[in-house]
Amino acid sequence: MYLNYLHWVEKSIYIYKKLIPPCGVYVLDVKNKWDVIIVGAGPAGSAAGYMLAKKGFNVLILERGRQPGYKELFGGRVYAEPLREIYGNDLEKAPIHRWVKREKLSFVDGSKLVSIEYQSDTSTSFTTYLPQLARWMADKAGEAGALLVEEVTVDRIIYKDGKVIGVGSGSDEVYADLVIDAEGVNRLLLEGLGLVVKLQPEQVAVGAKETIKLGEDKINERFGLNKEEGMAWLLMGGITDYIPGGAFIYTNKDSVSIGLVLHLGHAIKEVKDHISQMVEKLRLHPQLRNLWIDGDIMEYGGHLTPEAGPAMMPKKLALNGFLITGDAGGLLLNVGYTIRGVDFAAYTGYLAAKAAIEAHDKGGFTEQNLKAYESMLKNSFVYKDLTRLTGMQDLYNDPGMFKALPKLAVGTAANVFEIDLETPGVWNSFNKARRNAGLGLLSLAWKGYRLMKKM
Amino acid sequence: MSQDQGKTEVKPMKIDDILQRDVWDVDLEPHITVDSSKCEKCPTKPCLYLCPAGCYILAGEKVVFSYEGCVECGTCRVICPMNAITWHYPKSGRGIMYRFT
Amino acid sequence: MKIVLGIKWVPNTQAVRFDPKTGTLIREGVPSIVNPHDLDATEFALQLKDKFGGRITAVSMAPPAAIMGLQHVIGMGVDDGILASDRAFAGADTLATSYVLAKVIEKIGGVDLVVFGQETIDSSTAHIGAQVASWLKLPYVYYVEKLVNYDEKKKEIAFLRKLEDREEVYRIKLPAVISVAMHSQKPRPVRMSYKIMAKLENPIQIWTNKEMGLDPRCIGLKGSPTIVGGITWTPEVPRKKEVFQGDPKEAVKWLIDKLKEEGVIPF
Repeated sequence: MYLNYLHWVEKSIYIYKKLIPPCGVYVLDVKNKWDVIIVGAGPAGSAAGYMLAKKGFNVLILERGRQPGYKELFGGRVYAEPLREIYGNDLEKAPIHRWVKREKLSFVDGSKLVSIEYQSDTSTSFTTYLPQLARWMADKAGEAGALLVEEVTVDRIIYKDGKVIGVGSGSDEVYADLVIDAEGVNRLLLEGLGLVVKLQPEQVAVGAKETIKLGEDKINERFGLNKEEGMAWLLMGGITDYIPGGAFIYTNKDSVSIGLVLHLGHAIKEVKDHISQMVEKLRLHPQLRNLWIDGDIMEYGGHLTPEAGPAMMPKKLALNGFLITGDAGGLLLNVGYTIRGVDFAAYTGYLAAKAAIEAHDKGGFTEQNLKAYESMLKNSFVYKDLTRLTGMQDLYNDPGMFKALPKLAVGTAANVFEIDLETPGVWNSFNKARRNAGLGLLSLAWKGYRLMKKM
Repeated sequence: MSQDQGKTEVKPMKIDDILQRDVWDVDLEPHITVDSSKCEKCPTKPCLYLCPAGCYILAGEKVVFSYEGCVECGTCRVICPMNAITWHYPKSGRGIMYRFT
Repeated sequence: MKIVLGIKWVPNTQAVRFDPKTGTLIREGVPSIVNPHDLDATEFALQLKDKFGGRITAVSMAPPAAIMGLQHVIGMGVDDGILASDRAFAGADTLATSYVLAKVIEKIGGVDLVVFGQETIDSSTAHIGAQVASWLKLPYVYYVEKLVNYDEKKKEIAFLRKLEDREEVYRIKLPAVISVAMHSQKPRPVRMSYKIMAKLENPIQIWTNKEMGLDPRCIGLKGSPTIVGGITWTPEVPRKKEVFQGDPKEAVKWLIDKLKEEGVIPF
């Protein structure tokens, strides 16, 4: 015991010497202990780091990428309100590309598509590149006093005597009173800790995306946008070969992000084409390609996204000395017409920081004190939206949603607009399309009712 | 490098050509290992279609894996029906470097 | 052993594309990296330090962003870094660069061994090691693969280098300059504790020409006699994209036949 102690002191002093800077700005105690270690400088980690550092905590953020954002990919749009709650007016200085003022939803069947468009003067979301936004958020945390250390891949959470005491990377360990897990969707650390089992295909979707450089003026012209105005466009149906999921098109400052999301539980059984070729089909779709035909692909990538809502959440989001935020907690929402990941992640990081501050005031980062995080989440828009999503899983498993509905919409429109001799009535067109899509009237009404209820 | 490298074609581009747009600092050791003996018994091989970077290709009957172009999404690990994949993140900040995603 | 390690912060050349419309290089968002061959040098220097103790100082001449590169090698175990960074140094060819680096090494003082990588991926001149050695009037061994032995008392060191047809051992007196053969080492990964130190202790100094006090005629564009005449492109050879499906053995035969057909292999 005594020897152990000596060894510990020796090791600590060694680390202490290594860690104390000559200028003495950071004053750490001899245990090489931080108040808070955050794993991952994504939206969740950086938001938490920003809040905690601002409160005066000694915060260490460990990021595996060479720069924050280098490992991150999203559809293309962020909802602003949750971020505004965190950053206030500073958000205006974030790398915002365009404020979304045109929303479009299309049903695709083969080369035909039917669209609903919504235009507005006001905007609640913006487009950006996630690597840029993540860099900005990490810098905000840095300005607030957090220390960001890149190029460090954390490979374990250290759990000892009923609590989390630090993290490890290779032969090194660092310790903290509180560890915040913001590792992202693959959550290898939570697996290592035994808090979750390996991800199942039904719990996640894969997204693949191309960013196509086009030039600012061409985007404004071709998408009918004013300067700094953006479009968010979601497409369903044939565009994913009727695999549950969808395609997206977002306009950035001088580029367009196009891509698709495939629900892996279905994709493993139904995929017929390499996913990159499905993205290429979207790029070359006869009704869409002229929008970016002369553009240049700047980047291509893929990423997983949580899909299962609360079913993917670990049993606990708080342990002694430990909180789970963002994608690692399964805290992302996808209801087809709305995908919310970045703002959700940031907001859960923000709530985790709030809970940590409260717990600290109550006397420490015990599970009891940190549990407030879970109730804060439950009372927030995040959780309410997430639970509403639960039923969407059934809809995914109902082939009618992703196959029959787009076929119905496109079929009806085709019958109405493609005129041979006699002008068809809308009701007749609808019924003809409905029969072609293999939908009974009652079943359709029932699907519609369920969909409306979930939305 | 050649003059034509910058062209985005108006026909489907192969994944290898699309990936020319991406940047890696490839890790010196593979961060993913695949037990290819298990692949032989795999009936569906979904990795061939769903790995966004096309790291898994079929050569004859065999699944051949290369880690260099991996974008670290984790899809293969989740979908592999044979549990044949040992998956880690690269070290030292290496691997994919996204900029416009 | 007091070691100076020279590194260069280079654009990841794999990511630099050519814009056929404008005829320029697309540099937007191209991340820089530590020149990969310099990581061989880093590993070599770290092994010397592991064996004989001492201190490694990484030096580089570059704009301030190169601090990230110095932090990377400090993360691997290098002790500290010096970045020579000044507008006056900009536009330098290898001669002017090696002059500044030599002056940095002189200013550090008491250096036993200067270690460089074989060459850089963005210019591949392999000049710097030889030029620094010339400025400092020190012995220079290049393509170093291995340490043979080191006599601390006599300050005598022997290195092995491999050439195409032979291996050579050079026994030299320190101080000396070496460049380490590319791909000869297995660079170690970045360690968390070192990387935290690299960010926390601020072990990187920036030396401008105020500190250095170098003659403006010897540095930067003015000190650079090299003139780049122009860049021409090799003509595009369209890829034939033929794919052979089937047995690997037959595939090899098919491939060899194809290569013969194209005159790539003569027999």
